[in-house]
Amino acid sequence: MFENIPIISIIILLPLIGAIATFSLGRYEKYAKWVAFSFSLAALVLSLLVAVDFMVEPDGSATGYHEGNGFFDFQYYEEYSWIQSLGIRYIVGLDGIGLPMFLLTTLLTTLSIVFSWDTKQRPKEYFGLMLILEVGVLGVFSTLDYFVFYVFWEIVLIPMYFLIGVWGGPRKDYAAIKFFIYTHIASLAMLIAIMAMYFQAGVNSFGMEDIWRAGLSEFGRTFQIIAFAATFFGFGVKLPMVPFHTWLPDAHVEAPTAGSVLLAGLLLKMGGYGIIRVSMPTLPAGADAMQLVMAAIAIASILYGAMVCLAQRDLKKMVAYSSISHMGFVLLGYATFTQLGIVAGVFQMFAHGLVTAVLFMMCGVVQHHAGTRMIPSLGGLSKKMPNAATMMTIGFLASLGLPGLVSFAAEFMVFASVYQTWGLWLLLPMIAVAITAGYYLWALQRSMFGPMTDKIDTSHIHDIDWFEGVPVGTLIAVIAIFGVFPLVIFQYIDPAVRIVQVLFAGGG
Amino acid sequence: MAVWNYLESLMPQLVLIVFALVLPALDYLFKDKRVLALVSLVPLVSLVILLVGWLFLDVWAMSTSMIDLIEVNAFSGLFMLVFLFVGIVVVLGSPEFIRTDRNQGEYYSLILLAITGMTIVAESTDLIALFVGLEIAGISSFALSGFRKTEKRSAEAATKYFIIGGFSSALTLFAITLIYGIAGTTRIVGIEPILAGNPAGIDAEPMLILASVLLMAGLGFKIAMVPFHMWAPDVYEGAPTPISGLLAAASKKMGFAALFKIFLIGMILTKTDWEVAIAALAIITMTVGNLIAVSQTNIKRMLAYSSIAQAGYILIVLPVGTQYALAGGLLHILTHAFMKSGAFMVVAAMGAIAIGERLDGFKGLSKRSPFLALTMTLFLLSLAGIPPLAGFASKFVLFSSSVYASIDPGPSWLVWLAVAGVLNSALSLYYYARVIKYMYMEKGPETTVKVPPILTVAILFAVVMVVGIGLFPDPFVEACRTAAEAFAGLPSGWP
Repeated sequence: MFENIPIISIIILLPLIGAIATFSLGRYEKYAKWVAFSFSLAALVLSLLVAVDFMVEPDGSATGYHEGNGFFDFQYYEEYSWIQSLGIRYIVGLDGIGLPMFLLTTLLTTLSIVFSWDTKQRPKEYFGLMLILEVGVLGVFSTLDYFVFYVFWEIVLIPMYFLIGVWGGPRKDYAAIKFFIYTHIASLAMLIAIMAMYFQAGVNSFGMEDIWRAGLSEFGRTFQIIAFAATFFGFGVKLPMVPFHTWLPDAHVEAPTAGSVLLAGLLLKMGGYGIIRVSMPTLPAGADAMQLVMAAIAIASILYGAMVCLAQRDLKKMVAYSSISHMGFVLLGYATFTQLGIVAGVFQMFAHGLVTAVLFMMCGVVQHHAGTRMIPSLGGLSKKMPNAATMMTIGFLASLGLPGLVSFAAEFMVFASVYQTWGLWLLLPMIAVAITAGYYLWALQRSMFGPMTDKIDTSHIHDIDWFEGVPVGTLIAVIAIFGVFPLVIFQYIDPAVRIVQVLFAGGG
Repeated sequence: MAVWNYLESLMPQLVLIVFALVLPALDYLFKDKRVLALVSLVPLVSLVILLVGWLFLDVWAMSTSMIDLIEVNAFSGLFMLVFLFVGIVVVLGSPEFIRTDRNQGEYYSLILLAITGMTIVAESTDLIALFVGLEIAGISSFALSGFRKTEKRSAEAATKYFIIGGFSSALTLFAITLIYGIAGTTRIVGIEPILAGNPAGIDAEPMLILASVLLMAGLGFKIAMVPFHMWAPDVYEGAPTPISGLLAAASKKMGFAALFKIFLIGMILTKTDWEVAIAALAIITMTVGNLIAVSQTNIKRMLAYSSIAQAGYILIVLPVGTQYALAGGLLHILTHAFMKSGAFMVVAAMGAIAIGERLDGFKGLSKRSPFLALTMTLFLLSLAGIPPLAGFASKFVLFSSSVYASIDPGPSWLVWLAVAGVLNSALSLYYYARVIKYMYMEKGPETTVKVPPILTVAILFAVVMVVGIGLFPDPFVEACRTAAEAFAGLPSGWP
């Protein structure tokens, strides 16, 4: 369908144009949400078309393919020279790992804009920044040049800094600057690793493919271990992995709801994506040496995140910590180095993006309608807002891994691959499943069900609004569909991961 | 026509001097003092056109110099361009700022003379010419920083600057005499072969180390290298704001031009003697600058410490000592000139509309003047090295050069310079982001303010360059590469 159209660039540019249009609305700022919504919707529709058009079993001969390179099989490949003197090119393309992330980005941005429909405070800037965030994230998931990758990676920080800092909660100043500097330091570690890989490869190109190719012979084991550690730190902070997760609860608790959705739904995925796109294929010996470190950190994140959730009184903080736990599964899947495990890790990113968006949106709904998110002050809300209670229940059940919903497929596969690789060590991360069910059901019971609370004024509480219900409903539908038919996504991920495995093994 | 050839070689300086001499006279002719700014823009803009046509567009070439003391090449051209660009921004930013002051003709005249001195430093091939240039620029800057005679702070700044500047000149001159005593020449390119031949048959090394130390101290004052930086915040704070911009963005760069010439050409033979010391000073300079900047409450002092830190980044060039590193340093000098002078012009605009220089004045600025808030944000993010702005491109080349130096020819300690550099960038983000936070996230007075149009032009010019270099760094990287190739003695180091 898109043989001669630079479709990826168009999808990246659409929100950028939308952002400029939104910023320049002047005194017509009450239309900001409409402008932002139309541009994000256009990007969503186009990316859905791309997903339909995407060839799931690339044979390397069809038009629009990057032919005969033996690297990842990228479709919709585009390449333009940018900074010739340093061999920097703007290259974009999608494979089966990038595509689900790409879809997740356009979907969550559009739904977040709808969810923020009643934003009164500086709507121009609010919606404009969300679109700029989308530009950055889309760029990260599709670019194939390290320099451009880093540029997009950093672009994401600025709108998120403002979203937290301007529209955030009471401790927004602290949270915004902590988020900005913490993740920036991590990015800089990655930047130095990128520079080192560039020079060590010695091909005067920042292209991911060129560097991988040269790296086969140029990257010694010591170099790979050092570079892997640096990139792993850079990506792991974003993921986030214990013990570098401390920026996340603050950022989440203070961010506005849509900000949290994008933060947990997309920004965390950038970390998981980076590991599978950059660290593991390009630095296989480094990954090999650090396999057990990866696994240990993953299990620590899973257990620590889950246990801390039990102690939370703030609904949103609980959901934030649950992200640490669930993103640990991504890392655990990768750490097995098996086809099944890596596919499961990528799928878990997709699943977590959908589920966590529902959870954060429901936290926003509770905050919005009841005026507080503190679990001890809540109770019996289902009587006042039955629809919201239903949606929250589905969201929590999806997140704790109920069969038939999307997370189950991902987590089950992670467990299967862990059993294949390490046998009964599986029991360790398995504990988290019980804890997860515990904290979710306990929180649900205390906040939504049981006797009506007398700690807050419940007389004005009404059920979920349309602009909140529509995005949550849409997400729940998607969660159910992919829960029943996970193969729809697997068919994209599986071949791409197979290529990653080949690269990982040093073939080509 | 030998005379004509001599004149042609000195043409840029002559143009600037003629205008500098005419301006005080014009002061008596025009009631509207903004005319003076326009007149002083004439030589600056025409020389910029000349240089851009030569360096970037290849429309014409500059004839080689007929005078032994100076050399016209891509390196000097690039530095001249930086000085002239900053000059334009400063002149544009001045009329509103000094609207009510007397002696405006002298003010512009001194700016042009300062730039003349800087161009001489950029072109000099001889230590004596270099010293003369340093002095012309220095004395003009002393007078400029004390321009507001009635203001105590300004007078104090000028006095301090004068005393310390004079002292540093003396140290530089002493170092030059030592080098002359050993090598018997003041030609910078002539020093190295003579030292290599060791004509006197004596161990010249202790004397050369002494000369290096004196040079580091003397020129270290100019670039505000720690521990010779104490004057900078006081002077930047006390001087008229556009002049602070001139000092931070141009005068400092003159010091780097001199440092590069002397250390990377003249003293390259003794690199092993000075590289560790300078590397340590670079790391100390960037760290101290950033750490102290965090606690500042006056925006001009904060920017002063920030440019101390930036000097530390640029100092990386000397220990790494490749053409690639030099190109990175030059690129950072170029981009820093725009982002720093732009930031100072925003501060000047804040002064012109009576908000003042305290950081608190930035609170709620995004409501009062979205233009100032947005441009200041871009300048600060660029200073912090956030892509896709100019500061990122130049820091990228600069820091990556130190990474490269420890991969090829082999692992070395030089990579720690890059690590220190990026960690410092992260640290600096803290105080830059705080200003952004004040502008966008805190409440201030609600009254809207109007920025004088001519300052708007100055700020817009700087912002266009900061974003432009960030998005299209290629021609600038190439220009810096050509300029760095003038240092033929250095290893290439290009990837």
